[in-house]
Amino acid sequence: MNEGGNFSVLLPLIFFMAAMIGISVYVRQRQAGFIGNRNLGGFVLAMTTVATYSSVSSFVGGPGMAFQIGFGWIYMAVVQVTAIFLVLGIFGKRVALLARKLNAVTVVDIIRARFQSDFLAAFAAFVIVLFFCGTMTAQFVGGAKLFSAVTGYGYEVGLILFGLIVVVCTSVGGFRAVAFTDTICAIMMMIGIILLLHFVLQAGGGYSQIMTTLETNHPEMFEPFSAGHMPWTIYFTQWLLVGICTIALPQSVVRGISYKNTKGLHEAMLIGTVVVGFMNIGINFTGILAHGVLTGDAASYGGVDNIIPTTIATVMPPSLVVFAIIGPLAASISTISGLLIVASSAIVKDIYLHYKEKKSENVSPEKLKILSMMTTAVIGVTVFVIALTPPSLIWLINMFAFGGLETAFFWTLLLGLFWKGANKFGAILSMTGGTIIYCAAQAAGFKFFNLHQITIGITVSLILFLIGSYFGKKSDAKTLKTFFPE
Amino acid sequence: MSEKMNDAKKFSLVKREAAYTGIALAGLIVFWFVAGFGTASFDVKIFRLPLWAVLGSIGVWFCGIGISFVLSRKLFSDMDLEGEKDE
Repeated sequence: MNEGGNFSVLLPLIFFMAAMIGISVYVRQRQAGFIGNRNLGGFVLAMTTVATYSSVSSFVGGPGMAFQIGFGWIYMAVVQVTAIFLVLGIFGKRVALLARKLNAVTVVDIIRARFQSDFLAAFAAFVIVLFFCGTMTAQFVGGAKLFSAVTGYGYEVGLILFGLIVVVCTSVGGFRAVAFTDTICAIMMMIGIILLLHFVLQAGGGYSQIMTTLETNHPEMFEPFSAGHMPWTIYFTQWLLVGICTIALPQSVVRGISYKNTKGLHEAMLIGTVVVGFMNIGINFTGILAHGVLTGDAASYGGVDNIIPTTIATVMPPSLVVFAIIGPLAASISTISGLLIVASSAIVKDIYLHYKEKKSENVSPEKLKILSMMTTAVIGVTVFVIALTPPSLIWLINMFAFGGLETAFFWTLLLGLFWKGANKFGAILSMTGGTIIYCAAQAAGFKFFNLHQITIGITVSLILFLIGSYFGKKSDAKTLKTFFPE
Repeated sequence: MSEKMNDAKKFSLVKREAAYTGIALAGLIVFWFVAGFGTASFDVKIFRLPLWAVLGSIGVWFCGIGISFVLSRKLFSDMDLEGEKDE
């Protein structure tokens, strides 16, 4: 562990993190309930959805790949501008209406009510916890690597500091605190991008000089297929992975339960699309322009994940390094906290509390609070321990988890909420079969036409859903009346 | 704006809005494809960037903003989210 880090960078970071904890404690004293009393406004709704969606891989792994690939990577990454208007436009109001009717506070609550299946609900909760752990590990690793590269302190110091803040903020603050800290994180991300871009341009001798360097040394970066480095298969699967199928990510869909009114939802669709596009284009463009500063290839800096940390350490004045590092760290913090709260609720609310309710046993609000805090802390610490042995290539881990969640939830939510013919058997077959096949394909490294395994998972889960719905018993009239009063 | 809608009307409206969003997505995919791959052979540069790179990034972003604007301001309706209680 490196003891000789840059304390002038560490101090403002600690101050920022202390402020986040302060906000969490303050919000905790004023909130009741998992989804924060359903009173998020448009701006906070947009920012919390964007911040949870934009992870450290968007800020570290992604721009590192842009450094290697060129403008084709931005062309691919920009499909994420669909993420916010799609999830809020398709599920936002339906989920909000249903949540109020059913008194639901989680996505699993809605799935349980739609398909009248405790097994499906328990499996959904299991899938959430499983894949969220994967995503959260990637965030911890990315955040701690960045911290280490920029401050000079050891990876483990970063992990401890950063794990501590996330677990404390989430377990103490709950959903509403996460929404507010997410908002601050999203603003910090944007400030970080602007500052980094400015200093990269300055250190590289200006835009014109950097472009000349790129044109001379990397002409392939100006082609959409990047001389074969960006095959059509990547474009196709990214449209599924980070575009269309993201509408079913439980951490995004749950935002539909938390907002105050439709005016807020409409504002969030617009603000969210502006912000997510700015972040994606801004940080990936910065990754490409880093060629003006870093003259070697990605491998010579220890791989694509080290490009942005090295760039920050190289171009930023020591007094401002903290502003550049807070952005990506904030991305990491906000994603982990957003996932942690949903994972915790999957265990406490969707499994434990439901089990108690079925047995007609009451759980006091105090006990529930303590249990939620403890569960959040246990999941956080578990992921923290896994992250102590860092896996490589953050964005690949992230994509694996995205694919698993999308395979499990895409058809279950989309068909479940918009098709009367969807039934319990179809949903169970789809979620369990699709997830198992997806994981098996990942484990075996099996690909179809060299496409990411999401294509296998999403296709299998659709086929199974349709087969199950054809042969299974139709949903009862009462359920259909609740879900399809039209 | 309609504050007095019943559940049937609200759910019907929400279904239509979801369909609008799906159509908007299809439109954006077409725009993305044409703006990027469709212009890749043009030897036109803007700020020293090839046309496809500009249209395929900032162009797609602006298109996304435009779609969000039209959906949220023109096609989506305000409604009271509290519904009728089921029997």
